[in-house]
Amino acid sequence: MALTFAATPRTQPEVSARARGRRGRAPRRTATGWGFAGPATLLVVGLSIFPAVWAFFISRTRWNGIAPARDVGWRNYERLLSDPDMAAAARHTLVLTALFVPASILLGILIAVALNQRIRLIGFYRTCIFVPYVASAAATGILASFVFNPQFGAANEVLRRLGLPAQQFLESPSQALVVICVIALWGEVGFTTVVYLAALQDIPQELIEAARMDGAGSWRVFRHVTLPELRPVTVFTAIWQTITAMQLFDLIYTTTRGGPLNSTQTVVYYIYELAFQTQRLGYGAAAAYLLFAVTMLLSLAVIWYSRRRGSEAF
Amino acid sequence: MSIFRRNRLLAGGLSATLFLAACTGGGSDEGTEDAAQGYDPNATVELTWWTGQTSEAQTVAEGLAAEYHKLHPNVTVKASPGAPTTDDLLTKLSAGFAGGSYPDISYAYGNWAGDLGASGKTQDLTAYVNEPSFAWSEMPAAAREVATADGKVIGIPALVDNLALIYNKKLFDDAGLAYPTDDWSWQDFRDAAKKLTNPAKNQYGTAYSVSGSEDTTWHLWPLLWQNGGKILDGTKPAFNSDAGVAALETLRAIAVDDKSMYLDQTDEKYGPLFNSGRVAMMISGPWSLLDITTAKLDYGVALLPGVNGDHQTVSGPDLWVLFDHSDANRAGASRDFIKWLTSAEIDAKWNLKVGNLPLRSTEKDSPEFAAYVKEYPGGQKFFDNLANAKQARPTVAGYEVLSRNVGDAIAKVLQGVAAPKQALDEAAEKSADAVEQ
Repeated sequence: MALTFAATPRTQPEVSARARGRRGRAPRRTATGWGFAGPATLLVVGLSIFPAVWAFFISRTRWNGIAPARDVGWRNYERLLSDPDMAAAARHTLVLTALFVPASILLGILIAVALNQRIRLIGFYRTCIFVPYVASAAATGILASFVFNPQFGAANEVLRRLGLPAQQFLESPSQALVVICVIALWGEVGFTTVVYLAALQDIPQELIEAARMDGAGSWRVFRHVTLPELRPVTVFTAIWQTITAMQLFDLIYTTTRGGPLNSTQTVVYYIYELAFQTQRLGYGAAAAYLLFAVTMLLSLAVIWYSRRRGSEAF
Repeated sequence: MSIFRRNRLLAGGLSATLFLAACTGGGSDEGTEDAAQGYDPNATVELTWWTGQTSEAQTVAEGLAAEYHKLHPNVTVKASPGAPTTDDLLTKLSAGFAGGSYPDISYAYGNWAGDLGASGKTQDLTAYVNEPSFAWSEMPAAAREVATADGKVIGIPALVDNLALIYNKKLFDDAGLAYPTDDWSWQDFRDAAKKLTNPAKNQYGTAYSVSGSEDTTWHLWPLLWQNGGKILDGTKPAFNSDAGVAALETLRAIAVDDKSMYLDQTDEKYGPLFNSGRVAMMISGPWSLLDITTAKLDYGVALLPGVNGDHQTVSGPDLWVLFDHSDANRAGASRDFIKWLTSAEIDAKWNLKVGNLPLRSTEKDSPEFAAYVKEYPGGQKFFDNLANAKQARPTVAGYEVLSRNVGDAIAKVLQGVAAPKQALDEAAEKSADAVEQ
């Protein structure tokens, strides 16, 4: 999950009129330019764009990866729309996203505010919050499946000491998705925290002081100064966490494999299941394209909305 | 597939995310006139052999390849696992087909046979295995059937197994019950399971995987067949017949009405639970014996419970699939190599050595088999049970999809959220498109 902030140069480098005038130099300049851009372009075209285009052609075939592919036109897409498993997977993804995104933003803000205090050992606390984010989701998943093991896990041990009934957690169709969401939050909240921490420290101190001068208490400062200042960052975290939630795979793979009773089968996991477990590559590619289209539309909608509101997160 | 499961059990908790699939194999050969037409046995050839094995079994395989080279100096067999896990072999093969660099011989799960046969890259071994010198009929019928895709023999059985009833003698003694016999009906099984269940002690009469995988699905097939049902009728799903409903109802009654069945969400827990004495009876295959022996459990093996005296079981054979490279010498040499590897003499040094059942009925008199039975007392029963594997899972493209849908249906029924008839009808409807190519 690479995160890059591209800085736009304020001033355009001035191209010298003389250089432009000499015709012999132009090809060389072009060659130099491509010399820098070429390797990266090749990587992107070869490893992302080419497979993506190829996957589109696969999505219009019936293919198991072994026998020759058969062209079926748009039939895979038509079938997807009436596939009950796909509908269930979409529902699970929506529930997961609806739980995960607001929770990770709220928790992120809360923890960031807490970590923005001048207290002893603050560096240690900040590290503690961020460490789970650095750990791989696969490791998190394995760890969590020990903790939430219904028979021997620590979670039930805690419930037992509190005098509460033991739960099935990941083995119960009604609880598994929520438990997965909790595990994902544990792993991902470090990211939103760090983003909000940076945003909090960016808020001009004068604004807060001015508000206090005007007699605002802590809560009103937070509500009317801090929160509005965090809005552009929130647009960014909302989109980012939505994409994270919609693409969540490794955690599900390492904990429930989509079970029990397919209750944690999200769209991404269903695509994996289609393409690599039951060898329906064409149908799986069609599902992947559908997911891609939905994710892109969602992102565009949020960006459009935020631009209209005047934020500049993207 | 059996070994795959065994290794997952071995790896225990840590393997929750790692697919460890080591397999063992034996093999045999056969061929079509076309692929090996004009084969010169003295030509110098190099064969690529994807064994699908890891660790110890791979070492044995390399030893056998070297031994063959000594006997036939003109043939070099390059043995490699082919993929990190046996599961990954299919992906590697499909990538190899696309890139034109696939092996001469590859290990394959039996349920891939339909897909591999449809690739057009396999040799037709039908005539070759039917030569008397090959002794094709010494291999179990179900395994021979799995090696046949679309009427053509595309590979040679590499491993054979079957399901039987394994029980914990101590738990039966404690409950004062007689041990299961080879004549048990499913009602006897159900009654015993009920008496052996004790929620207070976290003890269950039996166990079943509800992960929805092939492990869930293939445990149902013997029951379906015993009731007179079929998986497919031609190319149409037929498992939702009255026989299928009766089969699933048998399991449902034990799981839902009696609650004497431990439902395993993962495929991986019921083996260890049986080994630790929490489950009294488990329906499983010879690959479980290694772990049970390691756990020092006093166990017995009986044939599957039956319907009206029909005790047939299911077999999950794996294959050596031979590929065609438009080179008669390579095709011929790979046939001869696999014929040697799956001969009674060499197979005893291969399958029996790594803890599998022998491929050929004639191996039962070998000293290696005597040693195997001594180490694993249940081995003899599993060997005898091969005769009860009368039908095979269909080798059609699309079986994987069907299996997944049936697995989901069983999982729903055993967890009490669907009725057998409704769940199987739904699975049949969803599978129809996949198998009717």
